[in-house]
Amino acid sequence: MSARTTRRLLPALLLLVAGMMLGGCASVGVKPWERDILARPGMTPGDDVVMSSLDEHIYFSKEASTGGLGSGGGGCGCN
Amino acid sequence: MGATDRKPGANKAGGLRLALAAACSVLGVAGAPAHATEVSTGALAYVEPGRVKVFELLADGTHEFTNGNLGNFRFVFDALTGASANGAVPSKKAQTFTSPSGGSGYVILPGETPLDMSFKDTRIAGSGGLTLPWGRLTKATFGAYTSFERDYTSLGVNGALSHDLFQRNTTITLRGSHFADSVRPMNGVPDPLTPMVAATPHGGGDDKSFASGGSASKGVTDLGVGLTQVVTRRTLLALNYTGTNVSGYQTDPYKILSVVDATTGAPMPGTATPELDLYEKRPEHRSKHVAAAELIQNLGRDILMLSYRWYDDDWGITSKTTEVSYRLNFQPDRYLQPNLRWYHQSAADFYRRYLVDGQALPDFASADYRLGEMDAVSLGLKYGTKLESGNDLTLRLEYYKQSGDHAPADAIGDLRTMDLFPTVDAWIANVGLTFGKQ
Repeated sequence: MSARTTRRLLPALLLLVAGMMLGGCASVGVKPWERDILARPGMTPGDDVVMSSLDEHIYFSKEASTGGLGSGGGGCGCN
Repeated sequence: MGATDRKPGANKAGGLRLALAAACSVLGVAGAPAHATEVSTGALAYVEPGRVKVFELLADGTHEFTNGNLGNFRFVFDALTGASANGAVPSKKAQTFTSPSGGSGYVILPGETPLDMSFKDTRIAGSGGLTLPWGRLTKATFGAYTSFERDYTSLGVNGALSHDLFQRNTTITLRGSHFADSVRPMNGVPDPLTPMVAATPHGGGDDKSFASGGSASKGVTDLGVGLTQVVTRRTLLALNYTGTNVSGYQTDPYKILSVVDATTGAPMPGTATPELDLYEKRPEHRSKHVAAAELIQNLGRDILMLSYRWYDDDWGITSKTTEVSYRLNFQPDRYLQPNLRWYHQSAADFYRRYLVDGQALPDFASADYRLGEMDAVSLGLKYGTKLESGNDLTLRLEYYKQSGDHAPADAIGDLRTMDLFPTVDAWIANVGLTFGKQ
């Protein structure tokens, strides 16, 4: 399969995988009273918004890839 | 409060309170937040020895209104100065280039990588947003962004919709944004793949040679979907996909390519300048796909974080990023967090280290090393502590290194003895202070 075909099919594949995962999500997790550990500092993605943002700016400026767990980029003339 | 919301607490005494607060929020019982406003501030110093220096200040604040709405604002200021590779190859002879920023030109010594020493800019950016509960399980967020540089302006809007499922163990987020960017190069927009203009005594290039006018624009549209899943009492998983469409002017108006002799590899002489250098040209459309996963695992006292990002675009660039960090909670309110990041990217289809005299010009060409094949590694250490005032202080030092192919096998003549992809080293220091967090 060529790279171009892969790119075209990627959104559909991701949707399919996401749907299958969502079905699986219903069977995992915790009860509301079991969230104490999850509530601790450091247990949240992007917990340190300042450091994450400063990092993103550096990598956006120095590399060709952007985005990921946050915005896909834009808003800066540094790249 | 969804799976990704921040919660307070750190010590054993707070554990029960945290669990109760979490349970109350799930049941829809009003839990009073201890602080209505939280502000995080940070400063960054970025230094590439012999090249770029950046100083950045950032403030990010969130305010919770009594009706449950959340307001967010962010201000950023950064100042950049130093030298940046202009794209030309090194030569056995001294080379002269036209400065894009008002100088009368600069000379690069034999064997040295051509760096534009007049790289200088400041940026001010601001953004604001509002998050509104929509029922008990859904939140909508709207925001706007703007930034200004001497030669670049950006305006953006964004929105997101998140919904909690399965006793709030799963959060699905749909988000989108659009940026309208405008670039106004200091000497106008150069005609791509035409010779660099000669420097003039009053500074900069000859404006008459820039036929395309004074500014150019592009639009950046992101659409993304995210899933955050509580896997176990100690494990959280986040998955994201973002598709980005960029349309408009994406060429770097300050980057050039050397035209070299097909046998010796020496830069060809120009008509208006000592050497023949052409302005680069990039496609006006770019479509990007990014998929990322992050796993956060509590190990009892400490926390392990793993993330992986896959990136692909229709410029031919594919990259893979792996990151691991370990939060060592050596005291209840103090931690050390080492961090390691690996990055690899392939080159853009139109990336060329130089152009060869006598060969047909390609449709697109850029020698910007950031579009070349490269590896990057960063290694950092963060220290965090809670001050007596209750505010959180973080300090971080990081080393970043980029490397590529120094000596391509197909290099011509003299270029075989030159470093065609110098390693870039950078040191990064951060300090962060958060007020109002509990």
